[in-house]
Amino acid sequence: MKRYRLFLIAAGGLLAVLIGFLVFNLRDNLVYYRVPSEIVNDPDAITAGRFRLGGQVVPGTIVPAGDEVRFEITDGTAVVLVAHTGVPQQLFREGIGVVVEGTWDGTTFTSDNMIIKHDEQYRTEDGGIYTPDDRYP
Amino acid sequence: MIASLGIASVALALASAIALAVTGFRAFIRGGEGTTSLRLPVWGLLAGAIVAMGALEIALLTDDFSLRYVAENHTRDTPLLFTIAAAWAALEGSIVLWGLVLAGYAFWVHRSVGEGDRIGVAALAVIGLVGIFFFGMMLTAANPFVTLAVVPADGSGANPLLQNHILMAIHPPMLYLGYVGMTVPFAFAIASLLGGDSTTVWLERTRRWTLTAWTFLTLGILLGAWWSYEVLGWGGYWAWDPVENASFLPWLTATAFVHSAVVQRRRGMLQAWNVALVIGTFALTILGTFLTRSGVVASVHSFTQSAVGPALLGFLLLVLVAGFGLFAFRGHLVASTPRLDSLASREGVFLLNNLLLALFAFVVLIGTIYPMILEAFTGDRVSVGAPWFDRAAVPISLVLLFALGFGPITPYRQARPGILWERLRGPLQATAVAAALVAVAGVRSITVLTTFALATLIISAIVRQAHFTARSRPTSYVRAVGGLYRSDPGYWGGMVAHVGVALVAIAIAFSGSFDSRDTVTLEVGESARLHGYTLTYSGPFFSEQDHRTLIGATIVLTRGESGLGTLQPALTQYPNQVQAVPTPAVHTGLREDVYLSLVRIEEGTARVTIDVFRFPLMWLLWLGGLVVVSGGALSFFGRRRLRSEATLEAVGV
Repeated sequence: MKRYRLFLIAAGGLLAVLIGFLVFNLRDNLVYYRVPSEIVNDPDAITAGRFRLGGQVVPGTIVPAGDEVRFEITDGTAVVLVAHTGVPQQLFREGIGVVVEGTWDGTTFTSDNMIIKHDEQYRTEDGGIYTPDDRYP
Repeated sequence: MIASLGIASVALALASAIALAVTGFRAFIRGGEGTTSLRLPVWGLLAGAIVAMGALEIALLTDDFSLRYVAENHTRDTPLLFTIAAAWAALEGSIVLWGLVLAGYAFWVHRSVGEGDRIGVAALAVIGLVGIFFFGMMLTAANPFVTLAVVPADGSGANPLLQNHILMAIHPPMLYLGYVGMTVPFAFAIASLLGGDSTTVWLERTRRWTLTAWTFLTLGILLGAWWSYEVLGWGGYWAWDPVENASFLPWLTATAFVHSAVVQRRRGMLQAWNVALVIGTFALTILGTFLTRSGVVASVHSFTQSAVGPALLGFLLLVLVAGFGLFAFRGHLVASTPRLDSLASREGVFLLNNLLLALFAFVVLIGTIYPMILEAFTGDRVSVGAPWFDRAAVPISLVLLFALGFGPITPYRQARPGILWERLRGPLQATAVAAALVAVAGVRSITVLTTFALATLIISAIVRQAHFTARSRPTSYVRAVGGLYRSDPGYWGGMVAHVGVALVAIAIAFSGSFDSRDTVTLEVGESARLHGYTLTYSGPFFSEQDHRTLIGATIVLTRGESGLGTLQPALTQYPNQVQAVPTPAVHTGLREDVYLSLVRIEEGTARVTIDVFRFPLMWLLWLGGLVVVSGGALSFFGRRRLRSEATLEAVGV
């Protein structure tokens, strides 16, 4: 019985040390997720390094420029200009939810990685929001 | 009508689960007498679960959109296979499947429980308690038989990702057979704690269920990885995603248990450790269910909105507190007395294996739940990068592979260096030659070389062991090799699984280190040359099928003079959903896979952009995984035949 308690206490102590070590190590590998309204007035976000920024693509703001595409994203409160390097995925379009990863310099978010959020939007019965036929002649 | 039948059958199952828990514990208190009273609750549980699942399937097959579940996860156009699979494509239905599998296991356990079996009836009572939770949830938070006031003309259909590949129909049932199967060893462990039983009977008895659960869990994880490779189109099979980790965590501890159980049966050691491992494994399956089913992963904020999340979290806490509380107070009753003779022994290597697997599980656990804990306390939303997991997983896996190499040939009790050297000399020579050959072939990565060398060590040590064991038999060598498996199915089944693990390790090392990703943009008729391949874009294609439409690019793949065929990466559009899902196309080759994922087909132009991935030796990953699964199955099937033969021999037949 006593041996048992001793063993449990020792194992618990070892685990605590291990957790401390792992969590300490983890902090450098975390990717933070923010939304536009959290970063526009936060000077710390400029020096925060890489993080992910999520929001909806503002309609009418998509401007392709060479191997870059510029667009604005919003969380409904604030708007951030994104400069994304690379060809955006087929699913990328106005109004869609995206998560971009990169850095923020106070005016532009420079991204090199874009994830399209899978939406749960359904087409209504009397007419599609879009049909493949219209889109791909 | 169907809804009432469904609810009535769930209620029957719930009442039976309560009755099972009550009569089970009552029989336990009476020393295992009156086991016949358990028959009715077990039959009720099974009947209720089968009818509930049947009712859900009938509702899906008859397009009964008065059920909310059917309206949300099914359309009239959905093909038969995905209609059937829709029964576990969403939260409520998957809980029904869970309940059905649990009832099946309860029935199977009940068949082994005879009069006077205290541990058996207590185990059934524990299974009953688990059943109360899941069937209770089916009546409350996750009720699949909720009806709609206004019946829609057609449903909206399941998540397109779940309708895109046949694997999605098979993966969840396999995974559940594994996940839920862990309830049985858990129930027996709790029963032996309650009964203060320090014998290894519970282990002997649960061996078959543990192996069943482990084998299906392995298969489920393999199919899940395969699915994400074939369907998701991001070019990979494992991303340390919380959902993947949720299935990997109990696999790690269950694997540790499968090994330490051998030590307990052979040498009577590690009893308390085994009990703790089994409780931990079961808790991890509940944690996994919580992670994947509560919505905590996709968005932490949905967790307060769904009652399933808090219910599962509460159940997890209950399991942890009750399980480990019982263990803390009664663990000494089941503790084993024999001590380790020497660390340099088979037991010692098993101990190393267990510590490493437990450490691995712990690291993955921390990386998985840390973001959730951080968000709960600070509100910061973070994710842990895959490199962090890789950095921890690689060294632990390499040491595990090393232990895998010499563990199975190390004698029990005390391993003299002479014997080890004799058994390892040949394999080590083979290893050195193999590593040198791969290095000459141009592989310079230390990790890959080490992995390849260790995998060679594992396989050659097993082959050597089989060779010498067979040669020492009096019968002819060929017959002896054939008879090896039957002489000790547990051991040789395990060895088959080890060979599979070695193959998987080689595949992971090569595909992870020598993969490549290029993005190319092509006009119709244009070609691109990449890594010796030529990709020619012969044109877009559009294909309309009953329940979906595909838009994609036809790419002709050649290498040198030889044509490797046509690949059609596409986007699949389901009629009722706005967003299309990517459907990658893969050319599997002996040396490597060429994996094409459509990035963009531009409107009105003849231009297409595709991601071109190369993954070496992917076929070896799937093959190795299947070898691991068959190893588990071999260990399972062999045992009974051995027993009956041993009895026959004992009576002199």
